[in-house]
Amino acid sequence: MQTRDWDKMADEAFRLEVRGFFQKQYPEHLRFPAYHLRWADTKDWYKKLVDKGWAAPGWPKEWGGMGLSPSKLLIFIEEQERHGVARTPDMGIILLGPLLIKFATEEQKKRFLPPTLRGEYIWCQGYSEPNAGSDLANLKTEAVLDGDEYVINGSKIWTSYAMDATHMFILVRTDKQAKKQEGISFLLVDMKTPGITIRPIRNLLGVEVFAQVFLDNVRTPAQWLVGKPNQGWTMAKALLGFERISIGSPKLAQTGLKRLEAIVQSQGLTRDPAFMDRYTQLRLDVADLASAYGRFADLLKRGETLGPDVSILKIVATETFQRLTELTLEAAGDAGALGGKVAFRKDSVDILSPFYNARPATIYGGSNEIQRNILAKNVLDLPG
Amino acid sequence: MSQQEDQNRMLRDAVTTFAARDTSIARVRELRDSAPGFDKAVWKTIAELGWTGIMIPEEYGGMGLGLSEMAAVLEEFAKTLSPEPLNPSAVLAARALLHGGNEALKKKLLPGIASGEILPALAWQESEGGIDPLALATRAEGGGLNGGKRFVFPADADGYLVSAQSGNGPVLYWVEKGTAGLTVEYESRADGTRCGRITLRNAKVSDSQLAASGKTAGAALQRAVDEATLMAGAELLGVMSRALEITLEYMRIRVQFGKPIGSFQALQHRAVDLFIQKELSFSVLRDALLHLAADPSGLSLWASRVKYRCSEAGMRIGRESIQIHGGIGFTDECDIGLYMKRAMVLSAWLGNGATHRHRYAALAPAEAAA
Repeated sequence: MQTRDWDKMADEAFRLEVRGFFQKQYPEHLRFPAYHLRWADTKDWYKKLVDKGWAAPGWPKEWGGMGLSPSKLLIFIEEQERHGVARTPDMGIILLGPLLIKFATEEQKKRFLPPTLRGEYIWCQGYSEPNAGSDLANLKTEAVLDGDEYVINGSKIWTSYAMDATHMFILVRTDKQAKKQEGISFLLVDMKTPGITIRPIRNLLGVEVFAQVFLDNVRTPAQWLVGKPNQGWTMAKALLGFERISIGSPKLAQTGLKRLEAIVQSQGLTRDPAFMDRYTQLRLDVADLASAYGRFADLLKRGETLGPDVSILKIVATETFQRLTELTLEAAGDAGALGGKVAFRKDSVDILSPFYNARPATIYGGSNEIQRNILAKNVLDLPG
Repeated sequence: MSQQEDQNRMLRDAVTTFAARDTSIARVRELRDSAPGFDKAVWKTIAELGWTGIMIPEEYGGMGLGLSEMAAVLEEFAKTLSPEPLNPSAVLAARALLHGGNEALKKKLLPGIASGEILPALAWQESEGGIDPLALATRAEGGGLNGGKRFVFPADADGYLVSAQSGNGPVLYWVEKGTAGLTVEYESRADGTRCGRITLRNAKVSDSQLAASGKTAGAALQRAVDEATLMAGAELLGVMSRALEITLEYMRIRVQFGKPIGSFQALQHRAVDLFIQKELSFSVLRDALLHLAADPSGLSLWASRVKYRCSEAGMRIGRESIQIHGGIGFTDECDIGLYMKRAMVLSAWLGNGATHRHRYAALAPAEAAA
């Protein structure tokens, strides 16, 4: 286990050390997975991260994290993407951990952070509901205090890794009279509690990564409420900043561009000027995405906070990646509807998985339309 | 804040003062379709502020600063829509002369260019308007120049740096206005300025007028054109930023169906998409200036990336601003049209978006997966 002062290290040296570890230790067959891997696939790798002390790069050292500054954390994530390191079911590390560290009581931190870090607690996120998607604040799942327990009734949907999870962090309505954002609380729930039913949902890739979770008189201890009652919405929103820059990374698109280039060459498309013009346009879009990302990353490196305009990165990154997967499909011609790895002259490429994976990217984390609403109001100062 | 940012902030502030004191949209309107199309008194003010000499080394009477400072000034200056030919003279022409090899000619001309007494223009493009400075039909033979040049701006310069093909490769000559055999005709541009179509019929030149020849001439032309291309991106950024500001303000105050039109989601999303294009333009220009400050190689590639994005974004913001304004946007009295027209001129000048997209493809071969 290493506890070093990473922030004292030069960026390039840190980058090389992270890269070296991934190259040596990450299982080759799990690189650039076609879809989100399940816990069974990634838990051995996660164990290696725990042993190395790298399981929670963004957490402070006192809770077993690497204590990375936002800029070092960005480098860590960039190297993950560059090497094609899969995400583990990491909701507990990425989303819940920072929230607990910021808002939970000392007792709650001691109770939940260590087993989460060790990979004993796997978390899923209970935010969206069938009738609360873009309009998340409309959520109806309610929790009623009964003695020293909350009794939860309702249903959550698009819950990734629900089948693997031991626990769930969940937004519930605790005050039906208050304005809709002001009656929401943040609760923790053990997935083994009676009354929880999980219905896995098959997605367009044909795999079951997310699920609908039904909660029927599910009882959870009152001391598992994080923060103050009815403050859940504010807490959940407070931690969105870093999400928006990491989702805007150009690495995914840059990797996709290399795969597309192999197809372009194999298919002899360099002789098709109409195609090549659109291809060049896409390459310029990816290059400019990288420039935009670099600009926000530089702000973080200088210790500045990101403004609401960082939302443009999510839009540009996800829509550029979508266009990239669409052009890849087109370049593949008749092979553009073949599943799995398709053999081309120069390379063997999975055409369909990136195309499918690019779809939800513009939907989750606040759909791109919602991002545009936010930008219009908070950045362009247009009337509501 | 870095020293560079401090410097640029001061330069930008100076342009803001200039914008308030020395120019206005009314002045811009008055100068449309006039000759020479700009105000010589304002040009003198611009020179006194030092902007004509930003990229001329101190030994030749300039400020000896770089692309980053020039970009800061040009971006702000472009917001005023002033027709004075700052980039064409202070970057495109001055830099071609500077990158050349005639020390005596540099000593003779550059201090005057920096001080605003000499207004130069680079006459490098020919009838088709391609952006390869070595595609030359104009000939330099027997001490005379023969051929034609196009898209020369400013058309009414004190002298022209004329590129031509000689027996020993490309050459660049300084030809003063009024030289026998040199005639200038005018073509009017969308924004009311005019560019020159130059004809050379055995225009006499001597060795003292030879700014560069052979490889030096080719490199000097390419570098100056790339620098001015990059700077045209900064100008486009200024124009599109101001156009977007004006359009957003209109969206806040124009009421239809009992509400400001800026409250309608269809228009909000359109405005956000325009904002994103402006931010991408800013990002690629910023990235280019940072990279080029550290490593000047790759100038052509960066110039093409910047000009592509800024031309496309500038045109799009110009067009859609008209649409968002509605009927009033199509009238001459509404200022927004002036911004679109300047974006059209800057976009077409030195190679439009499509031209630079093609050049980018030629300069940067794609990289395939291993």
